[in-house]
Amino acid sequence: MNFKEVAKRAETGPLMEANDFLMRRVAANVAKLQSDFDVRWDGQTLVNLDVDLADRCWAAGKQLLLSTGVYSMSSRRVIEFSPEEIDEALRFVPHRVPMGQGKDAVTVHHRAIEDPRPPFIFGGPFNADVHESVFVKLNEAFAQERIIDCLLFPGYLKELDGLVIRPGSGLSSRAAVLYGQWSREAVRRASRPGMPICGHAVMALNEIACTSEEWGLRQSDPRAMVLISELQVDDVTMSRTAYYKDYGCPIYMAFTPLVGGYGGGPDGTAIIATASFIAAIMMGGEIVHIGPQHIKYKQQTNNHSLFLGSLANQAVARNSHIIATTSHTTAGRPGSDQYPYEFSALALAVVPSGSNMTGPRPAEPLGFNDVSPLMARLFAEVGRAAAQLMLDQAAPIVEELYEKYRDKLTFDQAPQGQPFEELYDLDTLTPTPEHQALYEEVKEELVRLGVPLG
Amino acid sequence: MATTEEIYAKMQTSIQEYDQDAAAAAAGEAVAAGLDPVEAVENGFAAAIRELGEAFDRMEIFLPQLVMAADAMKSGVTVLEEAMEATGGTLERKGVVVLGTVEGDIHDIGKTIVGAMLQANGYEVHDLGIDVPAPRFIQAAQEMRAQIIALSALLSTTMLFQRDVVELLRNKGLEDQYFIIVGGAPVTEQWAEEIGANGYARDAVAAVKVLDSRRAEWAT
Repeated sequence: MNFKEVAKRAETGPLMEANDFLMRRVAANVAKLQSDFDVRWDGQTLVNLDVDLADRCWAAGKQLLLSTGVYSMSSRRVIEFSPEEIDEALRFVPHRVPMGQGKDAVTVHHRAIEDPRPPFIFGGPFNADVHESVFVKLNEAFAQERIIDCLLFPGYLKELDGLVIRPGSGLSSRAAVLYGQWSREAVRRASRPGMPICGHAVMALNEIACTSEEWGLRQSDPRAMVLISELQVDDVTMSRTAYYKDYGCPIYMAFTPLVGGYGGGPDGTAIIATASFIAAIMMGGEIVHIGPQHIKYKQQTNNHSLFLGSLANQAVARNSHIIATTSHTTAGRPGSDQYPYEFSALALAVVPSGSNMTGPRPAEPLGFNDVSPLMARLFAEVGRAAAQLMLDQAAPIVEELYEKYRDKLTFDQAPQGQPFEELYDLDTLTPTPEHQALYEEVKEELVRLGVPLG
Repeated sequence: MATTEEIYAKMQTSIQEYDQDAAAAAAGEAVAAGLDPVEAVENGFAAAIRELGEAFDRMEIFLPQLVMAADAMKSGVTVLEEAMEATGGTLERKGVVVLGTVEGDIHDIGKTIVGAMLQANGYEVHDLGIDVPAPRFIQAAQEMRAQIIALSALLSTTMLFQRDVVELLRNKGLEDQYFIIVGGAPVTEQWAEEIGANGYARDAVAAVKVLDSRRAEWAT
């Protein structure tokens, strides 16, 4: 199904209120499918080892999308799909997507369960608020980490000239232009002029102002769209998708299933996540990002999200060629050891489950520049090591790591850490000795736990 | 005729079973039996829904159940309110809240949870939905005779619209008439103080606690 047909159905599908869609279509069907396909969490497991459960989750998720469709919050109409249309979309879903230019061109690919190939690394500020005074340097510091394949979401320019930017305003269009210019400048400074930049400049339609083959984000750069929880879309995302698809950009489609929400626990929410993976393909996505949210926690390394991430990725990896990537957000912040322990636990859960990697970043609320390029290097190294592990080898390491932070999962409990400018020497763009020492210490501990870091 | 205890039990069961029709029917029985509506709400509906709110916080039930329970309570309370109004009285609620996600932000779920929890804890909630402009919050608060305006924002780029509501109230000279509470993933206590909001809640449970504990600041 092409995007034109999807856009047409957003104008012609059944009309209903959002609450009816969420309660009568999503919540009611998840509960039924969870029972029909026996998709249950045992309350203990962090990394799913039951591949039959993953296959049942896939079947339930596919059935859920057929039952619900995708709701347009703007037109209040449901975009519905037939079984044949879903099967055809899954048959022709790209299993590899090239991006970037020249010698910096790279390819992200579908990964199978226990796939020994290294995961693709989307790494960068990940939409943290980045102050204009360090925007280029911070992104250059990420781009100079050669292990990162694609610079991820170079950061929100929340303020310009000391003024907070209102989405949709003239100032936000200017922010989008500067975002494009400064991101390109950052990868050039790192001697990677064709490095792909996965863009998501501002939360409004004028985001596309960052596009320019000469100075900004290019046709070869993936662009991020976000579906709204659960299985919903709005006109801004539809419009951006329409533009970027025709412009030729790879489409990076994210969704954020909510544990404790309309899907219930992590098991029911895994069904929604699986449906959302397929929905993202139907809506034009080519790389699909899962970023679980939680009713109690803001990060993605809690026990529910670890299980959900492993199960949903396995469902997709075993039953489709969808290119999946998983968001890694944490409670601990850069500068603390909890930060790498958390993202390592999630990486070890999802990489052997068939996912690529997106992140890392602390969860909201964030201050300016609350990210670390050195920790992104470690994140990528752990991801590559995780690809060398079988699921049953990774699972006990995840459990040990989880024990290190399970009692410090909220913003108040977790270590507050430090911003980029305190973790790096901004003149040399190198980590401070203390930050470098933390990297070495954590790496040593991960090796001791059995992570095969070379 | 059923005893008072039997009617209260029916009211409680209707909430526990998320049954709007049963809640309205049980409330009708309470009216027919001449029970005091305020006591009926407290002994029939409120106790049951508070238990569900606690179960939600422990993740023993989830959002759909919480929403259905809040809807059931609303159906029952409407019957009791109508009975009170017919006799010239009004059913006192804990407080009246105008709630919404601020302009530019289309995220619904967090705000819905807060609304359901407030309703479950005895507040009258008017949910204005998503992408709500600042003047609309104030207009609705005036129309509904609200004491509390609750502002949700999921994005760091949209939270500044929380500031706009506070600023607009100040410019209209209305800042002392409403208790402004803010929340959402990027929102902090520090931000609440910076923009001049009265309260901050990190989640739905906290929102109830803040409003309950600071009742003296907003109750009129």
